[in-house]
Amino acid sequence: MASIARCLRVARPAVFSAIVSAPRTIGARSFSVTATNAIRKYTKEHEWIDLSADKKTGVLGISEYAAKALGDIVYVELPAEGKEVTAGDAIGAVESVKSAADINAPISCKITQVNLALEEKPGTVNQVPEDDSHGGGWIAKVQVTEQGLKDFDNLMDSTAYEEFTAAEGEH
Amino acid sequence: MMAPTSRLGVITRRIPLSRPQCQSRPKVITSPAQTRPYTQHLSKPVQIYRSTSTDPYLNLSIEHHLLQRSHPDSTILFLYTNRPSVVIGRNQNPWVEVNMRRLRVGLPTSSSPYAEEDFYGRPHANVKTIPVSLVRRRSGGGTVFHDAGNTNWSVICPPAVFDRDRHAEMVVRALRRLGVADVRVNERHDIVRDLDVPYVGRRAVKVSGSAYKLTRTRSLHHGTCLLRSKNLGHISELLHSPAEDLIKARGVESVRSPIGNVGVGGEEFADAVVGEFQRMYGGESTGGGVVVGEEEALAMEDVVKGLRELTSPEWIYGQTPQFTFSTHPTEDDPRERPSKWRLMSHKFRAHFTVRHGVIQSAKLSGLRYRNPDAGGSPDEILSKALVNQRIHHIKDWRTTLQQASSRIVDVNDLGEWLNDAFGLQTPGIKGDLSVADATVEMLAQTEVGRYLSKNTD
Repeated sequence: MASIARCLRVARPAVFSAIVSAPRTIGARSFSVTATNAIRKYTKEHEWIDLSADKKTGVLGISEYAAKALGDIVYVELPAEGKEVTAGDAIGAVESVKSAADINAPISCKITQVNLALEEKPGTVNQVPEDDSHGGGWIAKVQVTEQGLKDFDNLMDSTAYEEFTAAEGEH
Repeated sequence: MMAPTSRLGVITRRIPLSRPQCQSRPKVITSPAQTRPYTQHLSKPVQIYRSTSTDPYLNLSIEHHLLQRSHPDSTILFLYTNRPSVVIGRNQNPWVEVNMRRLRVGLPTSSSPYAEEDFYGRPHANVKTIPVSLVRRRSGGGTVFHDAGNTNWSVICPPAVFDRDRHAEMVVRALRRLGVADVRVNERHDIVRDLDVPYVGRRAVKVSGSAYKLTRTRSLHHGTCLLRSKNLGHISELLHSPAEDLIKARGVESVRSPIGNVGVGGEEFADAVVGEFQRMYGGESTGGGVVVGEEEALAMEDVVKGLRELTSPEWIYGQTPQFTFSTHPTEDDPRERPSKWRLMSHKFRAHFTVRHGVIQSAKLSGLRYRNPDAGGSPDEILSKALVNQRIHHIKDWRTTLQQASSRIVDVNDLGEWLNDAFGLQTPGIKGDLSVADATVEMLAQTEVGRYLSKNTD
């Protein structure tokens, strides 16, 4: 997901360092988090990914912040099932208000399932972008690779992401 | 027509900004020592390029290359003009948006008072025509028409400063400087002119349409601008599909708007846009911009890679979001079907679900068969045999149906009916060409097409 709102901007250096340093502690802490709950993290490009407790699978989508900034989503171009991707690769796109915005892989992974319902009801992404359940706005389910786990460590947790988007909104 | 491509040697030249309008192109520097590709500028903070190519696929590929390879903090203006083409948005359906037969018939190269096609839809022998290229762009939005009287402008910048109106406003300021006072950006991010039409009152006509592409690091806003197009009267024919009433498509449907020209020259417009762009971002040192020629663009591996993608039938047709084609109202698509499609027996029904050009399911009924009782339901056998057919590769539905079931009585009528609906060549004009074949054949007539077939991977 690209940054799209009028005032979105690449993080200022100060924000940047916060993101880079934050994941380390969180990554270390995540081992002690209750085993049943998935951990959710975010990219600077406004994708989210849930990592399952066993760290083998994940679910990804675009953030509420991005969905709001994009406006009415009229089509979701889903990733190809079975495709192996590296972090940052464009895996699909959403179209809203004449804009085709890439969805990027938040981590290295293999796409195992896509949310076909979004093709028919793309507006679901506007309504419940961060819902990973049946009927939610999630984009794809993935198998997490070893590299993917490392990538995951470098993403922002929800607190860091909130700060990040708040900083973007200030401009 | 194609821009001259035989310039050897060089290519990086700069145009002085305030050149007298409509003059011949600047002299080409032919010393190889000065040959520097336009890509040398990709890291500069402000870049301006003008393409001399009129190939829509190549110009979009140069633009894509600039989007992907320029410095993430740079701001770029790219200007180009295409030969007659219909450009659909990334997630659109060509069978809904475009009259493919009409595209192939083409447009007159000079204005002619006579009809361009005869009773059978064939171009008149005495009218020179140029076929209209069908292009699927990478950005979103709806279908637009390009020709020599239309100039395209494109701004690539960091997502930080992305705003859907910012650069449309830039073009409005350029037009006002050229004396076109009645222009403004409307709520759809298009540029319109407010005209006072006698007896009708004030009416907004669209002169420029916008579309956007957002990647991880960059944002692109490009737009058309109808300056002095001679083809305004033809655009509606090109953009009305015969089967739009039978197809319900996922993805993006175009919004139709009345259109008009602004009435300024191409060079004049380009200079004015460059001027406004420089007022916003600086970059005066770039002069009027770097000229990009066809040959040097084709020398860039990435440009050619993008070009192959953009010209492939699998992109143009195969990227089409799922759609249903139905001869009768359905729960999903309850529209009444127009009577022009009721050529067959009133019992006849057809329903296809097509995904990325491939028939996922087919249901035909009400046909007459020879030996109807000879083993299995003939409707079911026929329907099943059509599954997995790629409709953009079907050359003649009569043959396809014949192969699916040899027992259909009205195979020719039904086949021609489907040929009409899916925009296949009128049979008998020139062999049997699928819509994909027709695109490939049209491309092969162009400089860029010849280059691609000569330099296969």
